[in-house]
Amino acid sequence: MERNAQHAFDAEEVMAYLDGELEARRAAALAAHLVSCSECQEVAQGFRALSERMLSFEVEHPSAGLNETVLAALDSGKPAKAPAAGRAQDQRAWSWRSILARPRNWAIACAVTVAAIALAAIPILRREQSIPLNGRSFTDLVALEPGATKSRPPSATSSGYKKRFRDDAVPVRGEGQIPANAPARGEGWDAPAPPPPPPSDGEELKAPESVGPMIVQTASLTILATNYDEASAAIEKLSAAHGGYVEKLDAKAQTGNARELSASLRIPTKQLDGFLADVRKLGHVEEETRSNEEVSDQYVDLQARLKSARATEQRLIELLGTRTGKLEDVLEAERELARIRGEIEGMQGQSAILVHRVNYATVQVDLSEEYRQVLGSGPISTGTKIRNAAVEGFTNLEGGAVALVVFVFAVGPSLLFWLAILLVPAWFAWKRFRVRAQR
Amino acid sequence: MNSDDQLILEFQQGAREAFVELFERYREPIYGFFRRRLDYPARAEELAQECFLALLQNVQRYEPRASFRSYLYGIAIHLVAAERRKAGREVAENEKLDSRAVEGSGAENNDAGIWVRNALGHLEPSEREILMLREFEQLSYGEIGAILRVPVNTVRSRLFRARAALKNQLMPVK
Repeated sequence: MERNAQHAFDAEEVMAYLDGELEARRAAALAAHLVSCSECQEVAQGFRALSERMLSFEVEHPSAGLNETVLAALDSGKPAKAPAAGRAQDQRAWSWRSILARPRNWAIACAVTVAAIALAAIPILRREQSIPLNGRSFTDLVALEPGATKSRPPSATSSGYKKRFRDDAVPVRGEGQIPANAPARGEGWDAPAPPPPPPSDGEELKAPESVGPMIVQTASLTILATNYDEASAAIEKLSAAHGGYVEKLDAKAQTGNARELSASLRIPTKQLDGFLADVRKLGHVEEETRSNEEVSDQYVDLQARLKSARATEQRLIELLGTRTGKLEDVLEAERELARIRGEIEGMQGQSAILVHRVNYATVQVDLSEEYRQVLGSGPISTGTKIRNAAVEGFTNLEGGAVALVVFVFAVGPSLLFWLAILLVPAWFAWKRFRVRAQR
Repeated sequence: MNSDDQLILEFQQGAREAFVELFERYREPIYGFFRRRLDYPARAEELAQECFLALLQNVQRYEPRASFRSYLYGIAIHLVAAERRKAGREVAENEKLDSRAVEGSGAENNDAGIWVRNALGHLEPSEREILMLREFEQLSYGEIGAILRVPVNTVRSRLFRARAALKNQLMPVK
């Protein structure tokens, strides 16, 4: 079918003309041309001969079974199984173009996305608000009131520390804020210990030898609380009611474990017995220890050294005021005076601390929830196992959902980027593959 | 006489006779379509059945955007493609076209038919399908392009190349 390059019509146009596919004006021109052009007539004859030759590829007639099957399916209204046809239709139905073209599919995709986000977000929000634990909610917040850093004597009405254990974790206005450096949920947070109340001058005078032996009292209680929330709240109230204060507080609420509260309290010695009696009522006392340490000797010794140092200080002052001498001697005396004064101040501080320790007993209260006792002792009932498994399952589900959301947010943007880049060549490759497969 | 497009729309409305008429018109062409592309007559007949059953099953989804003939042969093309994928023989299709014809397991045995079949087996698959759709199914360039999802100009150029190649196969230049 090689043609002269100068010819008015090429062989492909002749072929299209014979197929009835040539544009009308061009077809009319070619028809007129064919009348006079023997070369084009030969080309056309070649195409016609080829088509006639191809028609010799005949096939037999289909059997009557084809009619029976199809017409039977038509009459029954239920087409016989057509697996390949079904697949073919599936391919049509599942082409991306058809999927994206249907608003219903977009609506479904949006609904699924919203549902997934909601499913992932709800547990996160709930987690931020409360900790599901053994059927109760717990939020450990130890809030420091603004301005509470000032050292001041603890009292029932002006305690610088507030601790909230509540089912509803929404902060209440005016109850203070969580410190910015507060640890994450589940970790203990030690409330910064307040400096001991400054002993007044009279306090030092209240601890003379005539009062009796100076005893530093400490007590420790380990309590298993039946009602943890009430007990934990009551500890601080009791300490304030007895004139004491919270020195240190550590609350732990790890998921899956019983809640724990460890409080270090300072209680006036005279109120100690009453305070301990009240604390024992908070739950079952598992362990209680008390110890007394006599510090009279230390105090007497300290007072004696203090008295001696003050006398030395006085003599040095007098010496410097009444005597004259070499400059070196004067400087030496002043250095000695400064040293003595440093010692005096140090001993005064020790003395004040000692007196405070005597006046305020140290009480360590370890409060734990009964939940741990239930799980930790004896055989676990089937119901408890199922309940714990359900809790664990929910936790896992929640964790999985969060991980999925995190993954989507972490990988999604880059994934979309690469998809956008690779989709076009992939689409063409797939299209080409399908076209080849069709043949 | 109603056109194919009218008949399928009538069948969508429940006219049984419309489908029977369509079936009568396309029974042999559709069987021939499969028979020329597959090894075995029985399998060709099964796929022809499946083609009409698929038409029955999805008639309500038919939309008159293209001609009914394009729609029907589109289903047939998909069925053949699925069949070839299933059999995993698309790669060896050319060789099969040669051997099966010679062995007489294919279409009616006549010398000219065998030659045509052998010659078709040597064509490029993309060109061969266009040529067969044009010559045996008598589809227009536009219908072929719609079924194979290629532009009409591509159909024309590939068809020309296929015919030139086939002519060289059947009527070599002396």
